[in-house]
Amino acid sequence: MDFKTFSFVILAVILAPFAGGLLAGIDRRLTAWFQGRSGPPILQPFYDVIKLLGKDRQVVNYWQIFCVHIYLISSVLCVALFAMQADLLMIFFVMTIGAVFMVVGAMAVPSPYSQLGAQRELIQMLTYEPLLIIVFVGIYLVTGSFKIDDILSYERPIFLMLPLLYLVLPFALTIKLRKSPFDISTSHHAHQEVVRGVLTEYSGPYLAILEIAHWYEIVLILAICGLFWSTSWIGLVLLLALTYMAEIVIDNVTPRMTWKWMLTYMWAVGISLSFFNMALLYANSF
Amino acid sequence: MLAPQMLGISIILPFIAAALCLINVPTLRSALVIGTGVVVSLASLLLVQSGTFSLTPESILGINPDGLIAVLDFALLFVILGIAYRLKNKLIAGLTLLQIVPLAVLELFMNPGENMGPALYVDQFSMIMCMVISIVGSLICLYGLPYMREHEHHLKLEKSKQGRFFFFMVLFLGAMNGLVFSNNLLWLYFFWEVTTLCSFMLIKHDGTEIAVKNATRALWMNMLGGVAFVFALIIFRSQGLPLSLQEIITAESASKLALLPVGLLCFAGFTKAAQMPFQSWLCGAMVAPTPISALLHSSTMVKAGVYLVIRLAPAFAGTLFSNYVALFGAFTFLAAAVLALSQSNGKKILAYSTISNLGMIVACAGINTPAAISAAVLLIVFHAISKALMFLCVGSIEQKIGSRDIEDMRGLVDIMPRTTMMAALGMVTLFLPPFGALLSKWMAVEASAHLPLVVIMLALGSALTMVFWGRWLGMIMTSVVPDKVLPTERMPLFFSVPLWTLAVSAVVISFTAPGLYTSMVLPVLERFYSADLYTAARGVISNNIGMFAIYPVFVVMALGVIYAVRASSAKRFFRRGDYVTPYVCGLQDPADPRRLGFKGPLGVWSEFKTTNYYMENIIGESRITGWINLIAIGILIILLAGVF
Repeated sequence: MDFKTFSFVILAVILAPFAGGLLAGIDRRLTAWFQGRSGPPILQPFYDVIKLLGKDRQVVNYWQIFCVHIYLISSVLCVALFAMQADLLMIFFVMTIGAVFMVVGAMAVPSPYSQLGAQRELIQMLTYEPLLIIVFVGIYLVTGSFKIDDILSYERPIFLMLPLLYLVLPFALTIKLRKSPFDISTSHHAHQEVVRGVLTEYSGPYLAILEIAHWYEIVLILAICGLFWSTSWIGLVLLLALTYMAEIVIDNVTPRMTWKWMLTYMWAVGISLSFFNMALLYANSF
Repeated sequence: MLAPQMLGISIILPFIAAALCLINVPTLRSALVIGTGVVVSLASLLLVQSGTFSLTPESILGINPDGLIAVLDFALLFVILGIAYRLKNKLIAGLTLLQIVPLAVLELFMNPGENMGPALYVDQFSMIMCMVISIVGSLICLYGLPYMREHEHHLKLEKSKQGRFFFFMVLFLGAMNGLVFSNNLLWLYFFWEVTTLCSFMLIKHDGTEIAVKNATRALWMNMLGGVAFVFALIIFRSQGLPLSLQEIITAESASKLALLPVGLLCFAGFTKAAQMPFQSWLCGAMVAPTPISALLHSSTMVKAGVYLVIRLAPAFAGTLFSNYVALFGAFTFLAAAVLALSQSNGKKILAYSTISNLGMIVACAGINTPAAISAAVLLIVFHAISKALMFLCVGSIEQKIGSRDIEDMRGLVDIMPRTTMMAALGMVTLFLPPFGALLSKWMAVEASAHLPLVVIMLALGSALTMVFWGRWLGMIMTSVVPDKVLPTERMPLFFSVPLWTLAVSAVVISFTAPGLYTSMVLPVLERFYSADLYTAARGVISNNIGMFAIYPVFVVMALGVIYAVRASSAKRFFRRGDYVTPYVCGLQDPADPRRLGFKGPLGVWSEFKTTNYYMENIIGESRITGWINLIAIGILIILLAGVF
């Protein structure tokens, strides 16, 4: 690894949480605007996390502490690997470390809410994981590589070849980020039937760590979306802005669904769309 | 170097030691099992120092080896015929006769020894297999010593059956070593049938009705594979090909039916590797004592099946048949993962996960690119280690808590902290990066990317795998810290030695995967493939389409784990007194806040219970097995039609 890549990795790891937090703040402002409220300051997520970090530690058992740290490490590592322009599929598998340990942490506590949340989170993983792998395979079919540096050197925007797969991607990512209608395992507001699901038993500094890890994930996910229009800055920014805007709108206009609905519809729609897109690719190559 | 001697030791010593185990004396038996284990393991390690070589023994104890094998072949088949007679099972008798008669024709009229070439062939692939068999297999036998004592104590047997038990266990190791080193297909066939017989005897070891029934099923399914094997030999001979594995792989046969015998051998491999629709024999094998399931699932038996398919892979590279094999394996991978999700029986989950992994290996053989074959070989190694660890843990857990249901394993960490940590490590090394099993899965997915149907099945199966391991991992950790004393656990020496060895090697060998690949897998691949090979440099395995940074991920995760362990250390935790009771809307028992439950309406105490989603009404075993078998048979028929 040369000095340039190294500094890029360090920069990404340092800046990612700020970008993620900022996006979360913008998200809250826009949501407030949609709902006719004025909303919190844009920097509110940072204030929240700083306050959480200063609170007393309270956990039911020590596995929870172990698991949040692993979740954070895996999220940071994913962003670092992306900055290193490593292999997409490898990054995906490293991401699952965090996802699995989040579930393990929730299951380590015999509380009905966190147990139920963990079960639902597993179903969410079950739904989005195959879809993400298929999207990455689609990218490979176009660019001939899973390595990000090769993907970036592809001369045309991948979006043009994979429009249908780009529809699948935000769905998978909405599930990953647990945004409505897929805020099934936990939700922004703790007044649901699962309280806060997987997050119920986390509080204080540990919740803050989860929040920071979540910011890293948002950045990683947007970076993956960005690969679809990596040839020009304008295209990139436009695509990401539109995608994130669509996420926020969908988040606001849809009610949460059940996991059965999510699993059956997302697999059916996602896999069919992927097949169509792959068929298109094969048709193009003739 | 002493390579030929080491080779001899690894095959013949277990046969001799096994026979001595029949003298049913506990001390002698322990000494034999330990001694054989140590010697065979050392022999396999010394063997690795040598390069590829081949060998035709002139005589074994003064007898012509080919003649000896032929005689033993028939003896073995007549033993099985006798078993069929005793079981009054016409199917097995028929399948045995279907092997005896063609084998006699082959031996008498078809000149099987023509142009034979070496009888034994040693390359890096068979060395890897030998190490897995000798080391992991011996550790399982070692674990069997205290386990079987406890097992017989529990069953209150008057006369110990351990002599017979260890006879077949140790014999199994010798047969497997013979199998992976045989180049002469008649020898291979002999060892193949020895493993079939051993597995039958071991599965029916407890002698219960269900044990005999499941053993019988295992026998006929494997005999079906044996029939395919014999007919493959006959077809090879009728095409004038020598019965030499290496010749067959490299032969450029012009015959129109060249693929048919290879297809039949693959079919034999599928039966032994318990691919759908033959999965039921391996699931049935779960009735046997745990060391047997561990042996069948990790280092022997099923691995013989996938070994043969991978060996033959270069012979069908680039054919339609190959693509069907990939589809067939991927289907097994997916279907077994679905079935594993529906199970709460821990051993069944392990069984289906084994079948699923074997499916992935078969799929890799079918994808048939150097990347896929690397994945297959590495997965054999990593799966054997981690799966053996898992089985041994579940065996200990079952003896302790009296249940193999994962719902009963909630909070296990409070009862058996050490075993729980081992089991957790076993699970993590089976499904999370940066460990070897996941490295193989990554290779497999990238290698299959040009086959849309295969890759989609792999993607779905891989997600299911995450779910059923993830939830089990979470369940065993579930606990409320009761007081300031950490629970402790005592393990018998012969439990802790195998468990520790397997746990440490699961991590260490995963870390050394780049070196393992360069020294053991690459030389095998270079013989058959020239392009798109993975290279391993500075801990990064890469080829033209992907790269996996093992060392960096390992180092970062290791530092992360060390930090997380420190942050979550029990000492710190107790000192600070940070712990609270789970959130139950403030409705806990005020007198004992740790008691799990709610104070319901009118002050009535109500407990709660959480269980996993098993979705038995959708994907229950009894509900979908029929359909899965039907689809698998369909794919199998298309696959075998693909050879024409």
